[in-house]
Amino acid sequence: MNCDECKNLIGVFMDNELAEPQADEVRMHLALCMDCALVCEDLASILDVCSTESTPDVTAPNSQAMWCRINNIIESEAKPVAPPEPEQPKGRFWQLSFIQLSAAVMCIAVISSLLTIVAVRNYNQPAEADFTTRSAATQTTIEKVLSKVGLMQTPHEAREARLKEQFAAIDYWNARVQERREQWNRTTREAFDRNLRVIDESVHDYRMILQKDPDDELSGEMLDAVMTDKMNLLRDFAEL
Amino acid sequence: MICRVFDLLGPGSPVKTTLVLAVVFFLSVFAADVSAQKRFARTYPAGQDIRLQLMNRTGTVTVEGWNRPEVSIVAVMEAPAANIVPQSLSGMILINLLRDNQGRETGNVNFMIKVPFNSKVDIETRIGNLQVANVRSGLVRAHISSEGDITLTNISATAVSAENGLGDIFFDGEIMEGGNYRFTSMKGNINLRIPFSSSFKLIATAPSTRNINLGSFANSDLVYVGDGRRVTGKFRDGAATLTVTNQRGGIGFFSR
Repeated sequence: MNCDECKNLIGVFMDNELAEPQADEVRMHLALCMDCALVCEDLASILDVCSTESTPDVTAPNSQAMWCRINNIIESEAKPVAPPEPEQPKGRFWQLSFIQLSAAVMCIAVISSLLTIVAVRNYNQPAEADFTTRSAATQTTIEKVLSKVGLMQTPHEAREARLKEQFAAIDYWNARVQERREQWNRTTREAFDRNLRVIDESVHDYRMILQKDPDDELSGEMLDAVMTDKMNLLRDFAEL
Repeated sequence: MICRVFDLLGPGSPVKTTLVLAVVFFLSVFAADVSAQKRFARTYPAGQDIRLQLMNRTGTVTVEGWNRPEVSIVAVMEAPAANIVPQSLSGMILINLLRDNQGRETGNVNFMIKVPFNSKVDIETRIGNLQVANVRSGLVRAHISSEGDITLTNISATAVSAENGLGDIFFDGEIMEGGNYRFTSMKGNINLRIPFSSSFKLIATAPSTRNINLGSFANSDLVYVGDGRRVTGKFRDGAATLTVTNQRGGIGFFSR
């Protein structure tokens, strides 16, 4: 009998379940082989401990919990395997779902609508005639900002532009009046001249006031009114 | 008898000659005066809602409401006499002397027009006075391009506009709820006689004289602004809109 055969049979031999002839051969080998004899002694001592200790001390108090801990230790020690990275689409460096994209579009629409409403409420386009009567005091914030960046006329500039237009119209009608004037009788000529003189006095007065105080809204309004009156007078008499 | 008088004076008498010359001169002047004035008169049947629109060159225009369903137009024309061609359109009597006398000089034309009480009246002239009385309708407009007084008496209209250059404006009438009333003069006096029970929003401006006399209409809701150049606010509920501007004259309010 060699060592391997002996080690295979040694467990059965220790349990006294080996047939006698084979048991004699094992005993013979153990007597001659020191290594196998040591294995036999170790096994005998284990069996001796098992037979002397009580079962509750040997078995784990909660085997299921112990196996869970063992599994956890194994998993923590094992290297995590990185999942394969999804292929990035070319030309896009961000990812948005359809819902996110819709929400973003809705937000932009709502914000721009609110800004538009605020802008419209703050900036009501004044009527054409109103440009001449506006002053820095009555300008809205948006108007002031637009005026500063040069996108809109200041009240003073608007008044000057309006005056320029009125003077141009007055020049036109004045030329027409001069053509017709010779055909008027003396009474008509005198009445026309008297009225024109009074209007010109008013124009002069208001322009003087506005030079001193460009923000005088009332004078701006009255200047616009008398300029319109002058234009109407010239137009009415140009028809005679 | 005249011959006997002349016989008594004797032939070649200086008194006789003077008398004859005086009679001839008187007759010639009278005849010239008669021939210088022409008269135009016409009457048109009118419905319930008629509008009179008149554009005159020079002269006085008087429009009065009466209790008849017809429009009577009488015009007295000074030489050189103007052409008057009234047009009776659907619901409107239109007289336009500017168009009918384009390019020719005319003398004064003085109109006396009578219209049904509830007629709309829209009259204008270049020079001359305008008078409207006893009208109860939706519109009374009187516009003088240059000189002349505007007198509106016993007016009850929802829209009234009176505008002149040099001259006075006088309004004596009612301020209707929801009505719009506008009086504008360059130089003259604007006087408004309205019921104390009137209700209106007011913007009255007299920038040169600062002479705005509210009379019995003065209250805490009507305030002077712009160094007294303007009065703005409302009287009672502010049911009508009243805008008065007198560039170089005063504004007065009186209770009727």
